[in-house]
Amino acid sequence: MTGFFSVFTVELLNSGIRLATPIILAALGGALCNKAGVLNLALESMMLMGAFVGIVAAYFIGNSYLGLLVAMAAGGLLGLLFALLYHKYDVDLVILAIAFNLIIQELTVYIMRVMFGNVGSWSDPSISRIPDIEIPLIKDIPVLGDILSGYNIIVYFSWAITIVMFLVLYKMKFGRHIRAVGENREAAETVGINAVRIQTMALVISGVLSGLGGAFLSIGHLKLFTRNMSNGRGWTAVAAALFGANHPIGTFLASLFFGVTEAFAVRIQNVTDLPPNLVELLPNFATLIVLISIALREKLRENNARRRFRAELRAEEQQNTAS
Amino acid sequence: MALALEMKGITKYFSSTDVQANDNVNLTVEAGEVLALVGENGAGKTTLMNILYGLIKPDSGEIIINGEEVQIGHPDDAIKHGIGMVHQHFKLVPSFTVAQNIILGMEPNKAGFLSPKEENKVVKDLADKFNLPVDPKAQIRDLPVGMQQRVEILKVLLREAKILILDEPTAVLTPQEVKELMEVVRDLAKMGYSVIFITHKLIEVMEVADRVSVMRAGKNVGSKKVSDTNIPDLARMMVGREVLLRVKKDTIQRGKPVFEAKDVSVSDVHGLAAISHVSFDVHEGEIVGLAGVSGNGQTELVEVISGMRPLDGGKVFLNDQDITQANVRDRRNAGVAHIPEDRMEVGLNLQTNLDENLIISRYNQSEFSKFGFLLSKSIHRFAETVVNSFSISAAKPGEDISMLSGGNLQKVVVGRELSGNPSFIIANQPTRGLDVGSIEFVHKTLIEERDRGAGVLLVSVELEEIMALADRILVLFRGQIQGELEAKTATEEEVGILMAGGKLSDLVSKQPESGKESK
Repeated sequence: MTGFFSVFTVELLNSGIRLATPIILAALGGALCNKAGVLNLALESMMLMGAFVGIVAAYFIGNSYLGLLVAMAAGGLLGLLFALLYHKYDVDLVILAIAFNLIIQELTVYIMRVMFGNVGSWSDPSISRIPDIEIPLIKDIPVLGDILSGYNIIVYFSWAITIVMFLVLYKMKFGRHIRAVGENREAAETVGINAVRIQTMALVISGVLSGLGGAFLSIGHLKLFTRNMSNGRGWTAVAAALFGANHPIGTFLASLFFGVTEAFAVRIQNVTDLPPNLVELLPNFATLIVLISIALREKLRENNARRRFRAELRAEEQQNTAS
Repeated sequence: MALALEMKGITKYFSSTDVQANDNVNLTVEAGEVLALVGENGAGKTTLMNILYGLIKPDSGEIIINGEEVQIGHPDDAIKHGIGMVHQHFKLVPSFTVAQNIILGMEPNKAGFLSPKEENKVVKDLADKFNLPVDPKAQIRDLPVGMQQRVEILKVLLREAKILILDEPTAVLTPQEVKELMEVVRDLAKMGYSVIFITHKLIEVMEVADRVSVMRAGKNVGSKKVSDTNIPDLARMMVGREVLLRVKKDTIQRGKPVFEAKDVSVSDVHGLAAISHVSFDVHEGEIVGLAGVSGNGQTELVEVISGMRPLDGGKVFLNDQDITQANVRDRRNAGVAHIPEDRMEVGLNLQTNLDENLIISRYNQSEFSKFGFLLSKSIHRFAETVVNSFSISAAKPGEDISMLSGGNLQKVVVGRELSGNPSFIIANQPTRGLDVGSIEFVHKTLIEERDRGAGVLLVSVELEEIMALADRILVLFRGQIQGELEAKTATEEEVGILMAGGKLSDLVSKQPESGKESK
């Protein structure tokens, strides 16, 4: 394969899966919050927090795996703070999210500057990237082995957590209570379910997952931190949860779609003469189209139904006048 | 029989609104007894029940259950002491099944994992025990309201309640569902359960209750055996004066047609007919009652007539003018008034004051605004006129309306809609959820409008209301006019059979002895 079609390869899927991983993690967290009836638009800030704290912790501790754990804890704390401000002080969810996203973006740059003197990006040779792992047996399957194996632990974790979240939400008592709170909070509360606790847990878990997704960017994929490293992936995750109807599997697939689109945009730059800035817009454009189609789906269906009804009426009339 | 519940000297004062909601209220319920709790809106019934259910803390008073004084500070305490409440607005999760809703919060599980089989069995056994059949696997959102209510009752029974509070349980039910509920309540009483039945409808009190307690202005003004009282007596106790339960109505000559619908069809969101080939007219000086079980196209028809929804086939006329394409404002300017079904969401803006609510339909008239600026003085004057002519005593010009009771809110809507002398009035469920005193006001006002020469289309699911007000009755069934009756000669039976989708001929052939000549 040469030329244009050489972009469609196993490597495209490999990089698509890698690029999708942070989105999957944050989107699952967002979907969980939506299921619990508490809109979390602060995924972006939780992700950025994870990216920054993850690499800083890896540097000071000298172990990137421990860096991941600290990133998850930092994201979780951010989720807890979000829940506290929402439940205890009754701050509007959207305002809260805007504040979080703005503050964390500036705060990470500020701390980077104070601690390391860098403004744009920071790295240190002592930091090691989370290593890729081959899965025994599976790696030997032709083609499929190349697609499914050879990633780092965060990628595998994102797959596992998708399944776990599905089981918890639809097969376990805790998950059913989450869904009850999200769909009719009063119904849950009158039978003694603590809605505040459930929403708080959903926010903390979404923080933990987004934090891990952020750490994937700084110590899983690369080994450096740049300002605004999450670069809108938290917002893509919000869209992916919506696109996936807040179902873990659907959210996973939607995130994968966004990841592969991004990988495609990266690769297509090498083989076409299109201006690179335009090609880089491709994933954003895909997101926009998905969001618009979600919004229009219901409306279009109703309009079509109405058009059909009017046509039937007219046909009926003509029949009556004819006979 | 033994007392299941005794409430003694319950007093509650709300300082934020300066309302003595409960004033030294005493209430008793025996085991196996149905107690009806009646009273106007704001009489303190809800406060009293919320105190019993642990949602509100009383200032003073005792609650005694089975002879022992108990402290109820939280609904969990109430449930522990065997008190269960079926709220007026159901607390169900629409996407969950019947079993999942009933068992919510007390699911049997192994290490956190659920067992749908076991859940369905528990619910099935419960339903059998109380002879309240339900399909455990059906989704709540697919069920009719009556069935949803049954799920709520089972939910309470699973939590081993012995005293059931039913808060206005019939408000949302069809006549058939009301009948079934009455049987359920009587059966529960027979099994030894106590039921507190909160209602506005005195006819239901007479049907279902053993005893009745009447509340007025925060006090229990009397408890009587149902066999020792009657509807006029209870109405007098509720309102504190004589009430006209059936307003006086003279026969008047009707005039020319003011509104006409010709072959109107409208689709629902799925492309199915919500209204199909409906034609009728309303004359000057006439109240046309549109009867029907709710959900048979009333909402859609009213939206089409008022201009809120485009129609898909047919035409509508006002005073011989084709208004099919006219928008809401054009129709209003041409003399259409609309008292909507939902006064809280559609009829009023509770976040603003009385003045703005009263001019919302006419703010752009030169009387109330110039160059886009509102003329607050003339608006204020107008508000005063409306308040006086419709005696909305509780509302004050310039003040918020969010604290007003349902009856007073409806007076504001009625006052706004009728103050421009409209030629055609759509009144959609104008007395829903109102107490007898407010119902009397609305009914009187509508008849006055008719006598003035307006045409009135009264849409109601209350058979009694239709029978009391209408000159002519249309029955809507599955989006079609199932039949038309002259109110003078129509019987409730005839309207009832049309509402259920039957034909008048069915009635005559099956029950020849109860034909029209019997009246």
